[in-house]
Amino acid sequence: MGDRADSVDSAEGKRDSRLRVGVPRALAFYRHYPFWRAFLEGCGCEVIASPPTDMGIMRAGTEACVDDICVAVKALFGHAAWLAEAGVDAVLVPRMVSVEKKPYDTFTCPKLIAAPDMIRHGMPGSPEILEFVVDAKRRPWWWGCLSLGRRLGASPCRIWSAWKHGVDEQGRYEGMLRTGMMPDDALRRLEGGVEEPPAYLGQGRVAVGLVAHHYLLGDPLVNNRIVRWLHAAGARVVGSSKFTWCEIEEEADALPPLSWSYEKELLGSVARFMRSGEVDGVVYMTSFGCGPDSMIMEMVRRELRPRWKLPLLEIVLDEHSAEAGIRTRAEAFVDRLPARSVN
Amino acid sequence: MKMAFPHMGNAYIPLRSLVENLGAEPVVPDRPHRGTLERGLLHAPEFACLPFKVTLGDCLNALDKGADTLAMVSGMWACRFGYYGRVQHMILRDLGYEFQSVLFGGERPADIWNKLKPVVGWGAPRKAAGALSVFRAKAAAVEEVEARLRELRPREVRKGESDRLASRLLRRLDEADTLRKVRMLRGEAREALAEVRCREETDDILRIRLVGELYVLLEPALNLDLVRRLGSDFRIEVQPVLSTYKWLLCSLWLDPRLKVEAVKARRLTRPYLPYVLGGEEHMTVSGTLTARREGFDGVIHAYPLTCMPENICRTLLPKICRERDVPLLSLCFDEHTSPVGVTTRLEAFIDLLRSRRLSREGKRGSGAYAVPAAATAPWD
Repeated sequence: MGDRADSVDSAEGKRDSRLRVGVPRALAFYRHYPFWRAFLEGCGCEVIASPPTDMGIMRAGTEACVDDICVAVKALFGHAAWLAEAGVDAVLVPRMVSVEKKPYDTFTCPKLIAAPDMIRHGMPGSPEILEFVVDAKRRPWWWGCLSLGRRLGASPCRIWSAWKHGVDEQGRYEGMLRTGMMPDDALRRLEGGVEEPPAYLGQGRVAVGLVAHHYLLGDPLVNNRIVRWLHAAGARVVGSSKFTWCEIEEEADALPPLSWSYEKELLGSVARFMRSGEVDGVVYMTSFGCGPDSMIMEMVRRELRPRWKLPLLEIVLDEHSAEAGIRTRAEAFVDRLPARSVN
Repeated sequence: MKMAFPHMGNAYIPLRSLVENLGAEPVVPDRPHRGTLERGLLHAPEFACLPFKVTLGDCLNALDKGADTLAMVSGMWACRFGYYGRVQHMILRDLGYEFQSVLFGGERPADIWNKLKPVVGWGAPRKAAGALSVFRAKAAAVEEVEARLRELRPREVRKGESDRLASRLLRRLDEADTLRKVRMLRGEAREALAEVRCREETDDILRIRLVGELYVLLEPALNLDLVRRLGSDFRIEVQPVLSTYKWLLCSLWLDPRLKVEAVKARRLTRPYLPYVLGGEEHMTVSGTLTARREGFDGVIHAYPLTCMPENICRTLLPKICRERDVPLLSLCFDEHTSPVGVTTRLEAFIDLLRSRRLSREGKRGSGAYAVPAAATAPWD
């Protein structure tokens, strides 16, 4: 950790024998980082996470990546470039092929499936890549851990204890997410230092459900601090990351099947928020060019919204979206919410 | 039952006969054009890919022509094409249209059979076998005419002659209703196209391989007539890696050779993309990998904006092309793409390919691409 200069220094100078593995703070990071950290450290690696996205990282990512891909992949390229510059020995890029076992085929987004390939073949000066394959449809998910651990040279016994420790850490993290806080806040609290719950989970004139992928919820640069603006306008903000798979499944069973697991989660979250009545409005956030979301948004609009008639704000993000624009829309949305509760 | 399906290049010819021979009345919307796209745009989600918008326009046109059943392929893939039918039909119902939807692959076979039973009725296996054989023969005939046409365009003496001939032949093929007539027409087409007068000097013809997303490669309305213009206007022999025939017959298991080809392509792609992404990414990558070896001067990669599998290929292709030493032009199509912009890019790319070929043959500095003396130092 630490800033750029520190990391580069330690790469050249006081280098210890442990393998330095970088983890880019993008895509699946916001979902599984506590597990990876514990697992990699258990296997005898030094884990270096890239810092929260800043303008420099975003710019580097935009330059290294093709133009019409979603902003989250550009951020991944930026973080990988930062790690390469920081002199890590390898970068962990997980390949999430499918994350649930169902009678039909399940996938995540194609960009998550091909993330290691894109970095390996598409990034100039790409670092050494550690793949971590999650393909629940075909292989149990400890298989990916086992092959990653073997590649790092750990003994099966060590892999087992690392895995157990990882699962515990992940459990703690997910317990924090259950309260409705955003992934980045939960990660900060997991590291220690901060204890009190974030302000946006406290009191508010209205409650707003914020539905988006973890990597949009957890990246304040990409989402232009929308949580802060919603809260400043007087809303209590609850993230869609709070729902468990069981809750999602319950909602999704009532809808036609979807093969994209993460998008099913979004659809299920919107349905859950709308049905439970715990929020007064839903903000659906997506990144421009997100393939699955272009379809899911239409399903939300046409299948879910007419059923419950809850106010819905759709926000499309890309690397050009500006804070002022997001703030205006957040304020306007929160301002018009009480009108509904009067009726 | 009046059944309609969206357009994709010349796929309507075999599909129309398939629907007809099964006993339903086919409704074929007008060939897509700018107006179709604009109609689809009005109702489609903002950043859905371009094929979604065009096929939505097609469905609207078909419903206006009186269709009461819309057919679409559907499936549980990682690519969003699998959800076209579901979302499009939802949008159309919201617009107030009433129709039945048949989603092949998206519904249980029993449900599809229940919908089709009143039309097909008993004796279905016999009917289906007959319908499929005509379907296959027509698809093969269309494939042959299209392939021959791509060879003839750069070579013909009178520009546009083979195109006119082919459109006449395809119209007759569309009208043919029995297997015998289709076979006869195929032979006739072969003879007629062989008689088109060609230029003597054909060594200078460049060969370009076209890779990319299926719909953009096959639908002239969407790719701004790329294949025809490259052939007739730029005098280039184009070879797309995908065709209507391949797409229609591979998924129906009607031609085992296509399965073998797909497996080979997947094997070639594996070092770059070990997992399936749900689109035609294996054809794109393998087509680029083999382009040089198979004698192509360059590769054009065409895809619609925000297409997921092709976007990933777009990230990989520059490296592959550098490794294999083959020039690449990526063309991204969306509703704002202007024909002039595409032409400018094509002209520049083709100039590059020409000079590359000349320098390979050791002719740089002579002939058409010699730099005129006046242009070297205009300030003297």
